[in-house]
Amino acid sequence: MSQLLAMLKPDFLLHHALYGSVVMGFVCPLVGVYFLLRRLVFWGVALPQVSAAGIAFAFMLQGFGVHLFSGAESQEKHLAIIGSVLFTGLSILFLAVLERRGKGVSEGRLGALYALAWAASILFVAWNAAGETEMLGLLKGEIVAISESDFHAMLDIFGLIAAAMLLFQREFLLVAYDRDMAVTLGRNVLLWDVVLYLIVGLTVSLGVMTVGPLVIFGFLVVPPMAALPWARGMMSFSILASLGGGLSALAGFYMSYAYDLPLGPVAVSAACVLLGLSWLAKAAAGLRAGPREIARLGA
Amino acid sequence: MTEPLIKFKHASLGYGKAAVLAGVDFEIAPQSFVGILGHNGSGKTTLLKTVLGLIPCLKGHFTSCGAQSGPPRFGYVPQKERLDPIYPLNAHDVVAMGAYRKFELFRRLRRSDGRDLAAHCLAECGAAHLARKAFSDLSGGQKQRVLIARALAAEPEVLALDEPLAGIDITTQKALLDLLGHLKEQRRLTVLMVSHRISAERGLFTHVIWCDEGEAVLGPADAMLSGEKLGEIFKTEL
Repeated sequence: MSQLLAMLKPDFLLHHALYGSVVMGFVCPLVGVYFLLRRLVFWGVALPQVSAAGIAFAFMLQGFGVHLFSGAESQEKHLAIIGSVLFTGLSILFLAVLERRGKGVSEGRLGALYALAWAASILFVAWNAAGETEMLGLLKGEIVAISESDFHAMLDIFGLIAAAMLLFQREFLLVAYDRDMAVTLGRNVLLWDVVLYLIVGLTVSLGVMTVGPLVIFGFLVVPPMAALPWARGMMSFSILASLGGGLSALAGFYMSYAYDLPLGPVAVSAACVLLGLSWLAKAAAGLRAGPREIARLGA
Repeated sequence: MTEPLIKFKHASLGYGKAAVLAGVDFEIAPQSFVGILGHNGSGKTTLLKTVLGLIPCLKGHFTSCGAQSGPPRFGYVPQKERLDPIYPLNAHDVVAMGAYRKFELFRRLRRSDGRDLAAHCLAECGAAHLARKAFSDLSGGQKQRVLIARALAAEPEVLALDEPLAGIDITTQKALLDLLGHLKEQRRLTVLMVSHRISAERGLFTHVIWCDEGEAVLGPADAMLSGEKLGEIFKTEL
């Protein structure tokens, strides 16, 4: 308990990492609810890996002597961001176009993309052995070592993403739930799809850079799954998923700090524990409601 | 003479480059109750989707003109099975979607926005008691009432229904048809209703469009539902 209190003090050494993890935990599920509702959960697996391949590609370019920015650290980071955003954006475009055409097997495409992205990540790193250490650091997520300026940039971007997800909830919901209805109401479904995909791309790219692909996938999918059985509307679904993500991130950070464990896997495990508790509680609620429902029907 | 609400002239309708219906040539007058009938795969839904603007007209001309300039306001009732039950929405949430026509960034921040309209439409369809129930838990007939209420929330001139009576028991079908007849009169609506069967609803139709063998033909309901015509369509003596 004393460690938890120490963590929450403003002079805590890793306070940027703590706040960053919790903000990521709050925001990723807001985007993830649409992965679940639009049955695009496998996008959540493939896209972070694609983003990681983009980062590896950037490191490979650096190894080949491509320099776009001045300053070694800034060069490394900016190239990685560009690689991540570019690869993720192009993959989303590719997947979205094929999805709209409605041909082929969606899961098969995602499986192939995931395998390709994973293989490419390894190959890109193999071509630049010097960058392997940095690459591994980025893939695991560097949130513990996040700088003041990066932390504020992350807060700004995740803040914008959260605001957009809540403000445009009507449009995202209408287009996802009933596209035909949206068209008859005169809404531009393509525009709203593009806006959602841009937000997904930004969340995945930035998230992979800060916490790594495993954590991003975990937080996009697991907290919304835990929230869904308890949701009574889209707003309550989004809020419950976001709270679940934030609390899992906080619990994960605490466990990681207290027991000296790697942050990412512990945070994802905490989210999975929450999911298990949610299912157990729902099953228990169902068992309790059963006899009451039978009695009510009998009466 | 009343201006037609919907007009097809030598039109071909279909998907991509493949025409499902060709030589479509008719007009629909305001406040008609039109049954779109035919076998499975005969092009009924293709016709409805073209009218709603969901797919383009491949050849020829299609125009629709509402009370104000531009196309009429449509209230669309899709096949209920098309809506994914994973969404955690209650009946009120579903109906409120009908009012999402405009992009009003700031009005949405007021909690009451759209709620009164949704509650009113639910009540008008005899479904006020379902407002807080999960949409996915409702019976087929209850879902149809909620979807009709959603279409009304769009304040339509044309109500377009795709197989609204499919998978619903006879008593509920009768109640839904009574509701549709009442709404048509009360709101002075034009109703387009796709159906693959003709029984209870035939009394409501003012006109019928038969989709058959790549053609769509419109005529008065009496003539189009005569024994002779039905025999011609179904290739049997009735």
